[in-house]
Amino acid sequence: MGRVTRSQHTDLPGTLALPLALVIVLVLAGLTFGLPLLDRAVPAQRAVPAGESYEVGAGVTIVPPPGATLDVTGTRPGGTQGTALFQLSTRPDESPVRYAIAVQPFDGDLTAAAVRLRQRITGTSGHRLTGTQLAVSTAGGLAGVQGGYTAGGRGGRYAVFVAHGLTIEVTVSGDDRELARTLAAIDASTRTLRHEGRR
Amino acid sequence: MSDAVRPGVVRAAALAHKPAFWVILALLAAGGLRIAQITWRFLDAYPIATLTAVVLFALLAVPFWLFVSELDFLEREPASLRVLAFAWGGLVATTVSIPASTALDNLIAKLGSPALAADWGAALAGPTVEETVKTLGVVAIVLIARAQVNSVLDGVVYGALVGLGFQIVEDVVFAIGAVAQAGQGDQVQPVVTTLLVRGFLAGVWSHTLFGALAGAGIGYLVVNPDRTRRHRIGMAALALFGAWASHVLWNSPFFRDGLGNGALALLAVLLFKGLPPLLLTLYLVRRAHDAEAAYYVAKLATLRDPSLITPDELRVLGSGSRRAAARRHAGARAGRRARVAVRRLQRAQARLAVDLSRAPAQAHETEAASEVRAHRSRLESLGHPEAVEGVRSWRHTVSTAGTTAVAIAVIWVALSALGGG
Repeated sequence: MGRVTRSQHTDLPGTLALPLALVIVLVLAGLTFGLPLLDRAVPAQRAVPAGESYEVGAGVTIVPPPGATLDVTGTRPGGTQGTALFQLSTRPDESPVRYAIAVQPFDGDLTAAAVRLRQRITGTSGHRLTGTQLAVSTAGGLAGVQGGYTAGGRGGRYAVFVAHGLTIEVTVSGDDRELARTLAAIDASTRTLRHEGRR
Repeated sequence: MSDAVRPGVVRAAALAHKPAFWVILALLAAGGLRIAQITWRFLDAYPIATLTAVVLFALLAVPFWLFVSELDFLEREPASLRVLAFAWGGLVATTVSIPASTALDNLIAKLGSPALAADWGAALAGPTVEETVKTLGVVAIVLIARAQVNSVLDGVVYGALVGLGFQIVEDVVFAIGAVAQAGQGDQVQPVVTTLLVRGFLAGVWSHTLFGALAGAGIGYLVVNPDRTRRHRIGMAALALFGAWASHVLWNSPFFRDGLGNGALALLAVLLFKGLPPLLLTLYLVRRAHDAEAAYYVAKLATLRDPSLITPDELRVLGSGSRRAAARRHAGARAGRRARVAVRRLQRAQARLAVDLSRAPAQAHETEAASEVRAHRSRLESLGHPEAVEGVRSWRHTVSTAGTTAVAIAVIWVALSALGGG
């Protein structure tokens, strides 16, 4: 214990405290800003086969609109829940419309599911609901409700379905003009929602 | 892991002269600003739920804080550095981890697949970023107060506190996320559920544990200068890997859907995922504690002055359970004041041991030595002159059994509520 060694004399943390502290700053900056930069540099869009159904999660499938791409950053399939995010654009100079589907276990009824989704939408700063809520159904027999919302200069649509102990939430958002151009295709896609049982 | 104890002293005023200190302080300020922004947003959207979450998780932090602070009874870490460690975890590590973990999770989805990210994203992205950033908090303490990292146990304490700070802030963020997800407005029920799941069930083997493991490695790296640099860095890397692997196992998709329904099935999953790192860390803490205790008790033994410490007190001071038994014995024999006096005597003896290790020649005249003598005479006046263990009382046995039964009942209720049993 009493012996002082050469390596004690050259105590690394003591003599290099400032450079090492700056290294810490660099590592933290790399993680905070570098990783997100790298993330943004790698494309997130994946082509999806036209007309083929895509499994969102928990046995729920949907046929994406023609020309839609899958955004893998918002897509997480799973056995008991899942999310899928598609992007749809008719013109390269317009920002794409976001078309998100989320499936999760739910033990309430359709009214409760709709209230929950509407509260989540209005809970986001700047978002408010527009128009009235209408009934909607899918080709696969799912019954739900749909409505609209606005967020600044952007418009939005939502739909929610409850079936087999699951809630299926659909949210669409985009620039008003682009949304108007793609909405028919998105509505058609939403009507293809189907529960095919747990896989 | 190590038998080395290398006492040192750090002067608060000296910190201000260290440029590294100001760099670390700037990082804490930046992290604090970011977390304040996030908290303000939460308060704006869900004021009642946010305040409830902050209060509940702050209360949850108290027993963890006290337990971790008491781990190193003989050479307690300064409160300022313990606060710094906690703040690093709660402010810096969380601030960095939120964007970095998301980016890494996205990269897993992009370079692998969404299915891979769904299964392993949380298991790989979170631990990789979070364990790195938390460990840097212990490194930061070494850089600005090297003299206060004197043993592996010090690394454990600072690492655990960094982890605790991270855990508490992360839990609050998760609680408010649950409130938003529930879509029922400003309700506290999702906060309470989060407290049950992340606080009570997952709290024991979560970030505090992982941080302690990685901190032990930094402690070893610092206090073993006689070993080769490669060996020390290798051991620190191994400890960091252990923390990372424990975190990966905890977040992994193994048994995500459980081993069936009911409390027992949920308990089995918790034990499978949490017990290995818990046992490993407890083993390391025990070894580090015993090594440090042996070192300081040996220092006190050189005094051969029964007014400062008797041979029986030497035996008691090196063990946490014996110290507690001595306090109970004093309480049973001479009342609450004697119990308090024994605790103060033990604290003063611990400070004396640290003084001895730093400046053996002046130890008899230090403030700690005077305090020991003052507490000794107080104990003598109370008719209980020596802080030694007594015979184990039936009252203590009943109290221990009762506390254990209550703890098991609380855990069982939580498991049943969440496991569907």
